[in-house]
Amino acid sequence: MTATPATIADTPAGVPTARQVRTHLRKARSRHHDHSLGEVLGDAYVMVLFVGMYGWFAISASRDLLDSPTVGQAEPGVRWWLAVAALLAGAGLAWRGLRALGPLLVTPATQSWATSAPVDRRAWLAPRFVLLLVGAAAGTAALGVAVAALGGVSDPAALGWASAAGAGWGAAALALSVVAQSSRSGHRWPSLAGAAPMAAAAVITALVVLVGRLGDGLPRPAATPTVVLFAVAVPLAVVGTILAVRALPRVDRATLTTGAQFANAAATATILLDPSLLASLVESRRWRRIGRVYSRRFRPGPGWWALLQADVRRLRRHPSAVLIWATLIGVQYAAALALPGLAGAAQVVFAYLAVDRLTGGLRAVSRSPGLRRALGGSDNLLRGIHVVVPAVGAGLWWLLTLPTVDPGPAWLAPTLALGVVAAAFRAGTRPPINYGGATVNTPFGMIPVDLLRQGSRGPALLAVLVLVQLFLG
Amino acid sequence: MIVDALSVRGLSRNFGNLVVLDDVSFTLPAGRIAVVLGPNGSGKTTLLRCVVGADRPDSGEVLVQGRRADETDPQVRALVAAALDDIDFFPDLSVVEHLELVAYAHGGDAEPVEEVLAELGLEPARDQLPVTLSSGQRRRLALASCFVRPRRVLILDEPEQRLDVRGRQWLADRLLRERAAGTAVLLASHDPELIDAVVDERIEIGK
Repeated sequence: MTATPATIADTPAGVPTARQVRTHLRKARSRHHDHSLGEVLGDAYVMVLFVGMYGWFAISASRDLLDSPTVGQAEPGVRWWLAVAALLAGAGLAWRGLRALGPLLVTPATQSWATSAPVDRRAWLAPRFVLLLVGAAAGTAALGVAVAALGGVSDPAALGWASAAGAGWGAAALALSVVAQSSRSGHRWPSLAGAAPMAAAAVITALVVLVGRLGDGLPRPAATPTVVLFAVAVPLAVVGTILAVRALPRVDRATLTTGAQFANAAATATILLDPSLLASLVESRRWRRIGRVYSRRFRPGPGWWALLQADVRRLRRHPSAVLIWATLIGVQYAAALALPGLAGAAQVVFAYLAVDRLTGGLRAVSRSPGLRRALGGSDNLLRGIHVVVPAVGAGLWWLLTLPTVDPGPAWLAPTLALGVVAAAFRAGTRPPINYGGATVNTPFGMIPVDLLRQGSRGPALLAVLVLVQLFLG
Repeated sequence: MIVDALSVRGLSRNFGNLVVLDDVSFTLPAGRIAVVLGPNGSGKTTLLRCVVGADRPDSGEVLVQGRRADETDPQVRALVAAALDDIDFFPDLSVVEHLELVAYAHGGDAEPVEEVLAELGLEPARDQLPVTLSSGQRRRLALASCFVRPRRVLILDEPEQRLDVRGRQWLADRLLRERAAGTAVLLASHDPELIDAVVDERIEIGK
C-alpha cells in the first residue's frame, strides 16, 4: 500500500544555493579559458553598434524608397492598415518563436550537471528571466522606434511613445511566455495567444485587399494610438512579470531542454551560415508531432509514377506548406496595393518563397546520396521527378496572382515563372556547404568565397529575375 | 506501512496519433532492481524519460517514495539519479570537475569522487576534457555522475552500451551493491547476461 500522494517543494537541507552553484561552475570554467567580463562587454558593444548603424541605414533607405516614384502611390489608409497587419502577424510569429525556444532554457550540459541537482529552480532561473525581460523590452523598444520612423514620424515625443509602447508589449509577451512555459500541457491559452494576432492580421489583410480591389481604400485613423497601446501594455507587463516570477519554480526540465535544442541549432546555423541546420530540426519536430500516418499502396505504374505520388502525399501530410503557399497569394495582392510600383518584383520574390515550400521531396533526395542509391535511377531523373510538384505549384501561383501586375511583354510572365522554378530547384538541390577555400574580408568579417557561392545558389538567380522584371516588366 | 520507492500509474505518451506508451503501471520497492523489456521502438527510453521528468506524459503519474514526482520539486531531484542518453558535457570542464560539480550541487563534498573515478577506471582521464574522451569513457562518466551523489532511485537507460567486458562486469557488481544499499533501480537493457545477473523484476512493454 502506498502513502497518499503529496507534492513537496522545499529544497533539501545542506544543498548549496543557486548562486553558490553558479559561482562554483563559473570559477571551474574560468580556469580553462581567459574570457574577461570586459571582453564580453566589448563584444556586446560592437554588436549593438553594428546593429544600430546598419539598422538605421536600412530604415532610412526603406523610408526613401517608400516615398520614391519607383514604388508608386498607394491609398493613404492601405499602407497604415497593412503595417498593422504585418505587426500583428509578426507578433504572432514572435510568440510562436518564444514558445519554441522556451523562452527560458538551460544548455544540455547545465541540465546534466547542475540543474538536475536539487538547487532552487526559481533562484537558478531568475537572473536569466531578468536578462531576457530587459532584452525583450529593449529590442521591442527599438522596433517601435523603427516602425514609427519608417512611417514618417520624426517628432521625438511621438518616437518616445512608440518606443515605450514597444518596450511594454515586448516585456508583457516575454513574461507571459514564461507563464505559458510553466503551465502544464492541455492549457489552450498559449496557442490561442499566438493564433489570435495572426488571424486578425489575415482578416485585416483580406479586408484591405477586398476594399482596395473594389476601388476605395480603408480610411487611415487620424492618429496612431501609441499612448493607448502603452497604457494597455504597462499593466499587462506588470501583471505578467509578477505571474512569471511566481511561475519560475514550475518551469520543468522538459521545456528547458527542448528550447535549448532550438537555440543550439539556431546558433550553429547562424555561425555556419547554413539555415538548413535549423530547418532540419524544425522538420523533424513537425513529423514527430504527426507521429503516425495512414499508409496506402501506390497506384500501379512505372517507378517515376510512384515517386510522384509520394511527393504529392508528402504535401498532403504537411498542409502548412500549402497554407503558406496560399497565404503568399494574399500577401502578393496586399503588396500590389501597398507598393504598386514594385508589384512585379514582389511577385517574383513571393512566388519563390511559395514554391520553396513545395520542395520538401527535392531537398530530401538531394541531401542524401544513400536515399538516391536506394531509390535507383539517375540523380537527374530523381531530381526531375521531384521538381514536378514545385513546377505545377509555381504555375498555379503565378496564374492566380496575374491580376496584381501589369502585363508586360508576352514572353515575360512564362520566363519569370520558369525562372522561379529554376531558382527553387537550385536552392533545393544545394549540396552540403563546404567551408574550405579562399576567404574574403567583408563588413561582416572573413567569409569563405565558396560559402557565398553556395549560399547564394537559388537566391542569386532570384536576384537576376527581379532585375529583369524591374527593367523589362 | 511499506512505501514503494517508485510507482508508475497509468502512464501514457503519444507522438501525434502514435501511441508510444499505453497505460503503463508498475511499482518498485526499495532495494529491488527492475528491467524494462521490449522490442526496439516499444517506448523503453520514453518511459524512462517520463519517469525522470525529461518528457511530459500525456496522462498518468509517477510517485517517488509515495510522493508525486514532479521534476520541478527539489526533493524529487535529490532522490532520483539518472543516466539517460541525453547527457551532455561542459566542453571546458575536466572529468573530475564534472563530478565535483555534481557532488557539490547535491550538498556533498568531493570525497566520493576519487573513489568513483578509481572504480570506473577513469583515473587516467581525470584531467581530460570531454572532447578527448572515447565513447566508452563518456559512458562511464555519465554513470559516475549517478554515484557521486545521494540517491534512493536510480534510472539507467541501456547502461551496458559502449562498456567493454570488464566494464560490464563492474556494472553488474555495482548494481548489486546499489540493491544491497536499498536503492531502487529501474533500467532498460538488451544485455541478457546483465539482466540474469541482477534483475529482480521484469516490466514488459510494447507487447
